Amino acid sequence: MTPPPDPAGRVRAVVTGIGVRTPVGNTLDEVVAAVMAAAGTAAAPVDVLVAQRAAVRFACRVPEFDPESTLSLRELRQIDRPTALALCAAVDAVRDAELPPLPPERVGVHLGAGIGGLPTMEATALDHGADPMGMPVHTVPRTMANSAAARIAMRYGFLGSCLTHTTACASGTNAVGEALRRIRHGELDAVVTGGFDSAITTIMLSGFARMRALSLRNDDPGRASRPFDADRDGFVMGEGAALLVLERREAALARGARIYGEVAGYATNSDAFHIAAPHPEGTAAAACMAGAIADAGLRPGDIGHVNAHGTATRLNDAAEATAVDRAFAGQAPPVTSIKGVTGHLIGGSGALEAAVALVCAGRRTVPPVANLARCTEADRIDVVAGAPRRVALAPVLSNSFGFGGQNACLVLTPGT
Amino acid sequence: MTDPQAPSTPDATGRSLADIVRTTIADVLGTTPDEISDSTDLEADHGVDSLELMAVGAQLERALGVQISPEDLMRADNVGHAIALLTERTADR
Repeated sequence: MTPPPDPAGRVRAVVTGIGVRTPVGNTLDEVVAAVMAAAGTAAAPVDVLVAQRAAVRFACRVPEFDPESTLSLRELRQIDRPTALALCAAVDAVRDAELPPLPPERVGVHLGAGIGGLPTMEATALDHGADPMGMPVHTVPRTMANSAAARIAMRYGFLGSCLTHTTACASGTNAVGEALRRIRHGELDAVVTGGFDSAITTIMLSGFARMRALSLRNDDPGRASRPFDADRDGFVMGEGAALLVLERREAALARGARIYGEVAGYATNSDAFHIAAPHPEGTAAAACMAGAIADAGLRPGDIGHVNAHGTATRLNDAAEATAVDRAFAGQAPPVTSIKGVTGHLIGGSGALEAAVALVCAGRRTVPPVANLARCTEADRIDVVAGAPRRVALAPVLSNSFGFGGQNACLVLTPGT
Repeated sequence: MTDPQAPSTPDATGRSLADIVRTTIADVLGTTPDEISDSTDLEADHGVDSLELMAVGAQLERALGVQISPEDLMRADNVGHAIALLTERTADR
């Protein structure tokens, strides 16, 4: 679809490249196919968690992703798994975009990470706690939260702003939104943006399990992530990275780039309510959704479907349903959550979902929520279950809500 | 990937000092020992940085049981020179 001109005459930004490393595939096509099939959660027991008798012994792991084919051994020696996932996805995204040579100071990197290098520092503490000066020389550059963003900038020589946004589970969405603002503001012509995390360790999972945020369905991982379902008992930890090349629309059109769609609207705000729980009335979250829709120059009725944060925690899904209902004044379009399939990629989730939502909107098809048998939020929202739902060609709203009351919403419009 | 600095052959028994040095450098630079000869200049040929030199030093300290400062390695013109300096050092033990 050809979107209307920007109401405020602002510079517009489009997605011209996508690269992913996810539990359901290392290409966007594989991810979309898995999400549409909604056959269950891509979770399996994790050997180290089983061996250590962790409370939660399963997760959605990225299968073998062959970093050696993309990264040098020298580079791999200095980075950890989260950064390797992000770098591989970034290389795919840049290749996918077929970016022409650009003035390097006009290209930036904006990533989101909720947990970053903490699991690597955890391993360092366990391995070298008794002899700290025996730790690897590269421990700090390996574990710092901005390691992946810096590595991407170094790899390509991008000299523009290089930022890592950290808003827990909303990090990836915030990164894409902030990248949009840099392009709108005229600061950058292109941004490698998105999110990543990899934190499948006993300590990390125990931390989330301790606050009863994780599903304990150890005996049935495939049915563990159940967004909006009556039997949901928490989210399923995933890992992965989703990286997008966001480009000034005029420049992308001029060079004849393949365009996935436009990042048309963004808003972010805070519940200022509780360090982990969402506000049950969802007032700030609803305002955030409304803000993103208005930022895109649209009205709520223009949105074709909502990609919910939909983590499958009791509190998130209930509060989000209330917030969606509020934002759309009782007229919400169909709602989905891909986390029933992918699990929760934490910092990677928002960017992955933005990419998937954009493709699904372009195909006029809303993927069903996996493992959704009986919806407890059906009084407020229409959650798609069972089979994909056909909708009109329309923009999609994608939500992310992080611990700390961090709200971030994007509006994505398919087409050029 | 929790301890990438652990030498691939932590026990130096049976290996010459030159072999240990070449293997250690190759490990840090992600290459093979046969790429590292006496005439290799780590800075000119491989763009080695100070953190990598420190990583080489730390691994060699463990493998050889001698104290090595990054300056020791930076003083060396090439790998052969570094091996000579380290040979002297281990002889002093």
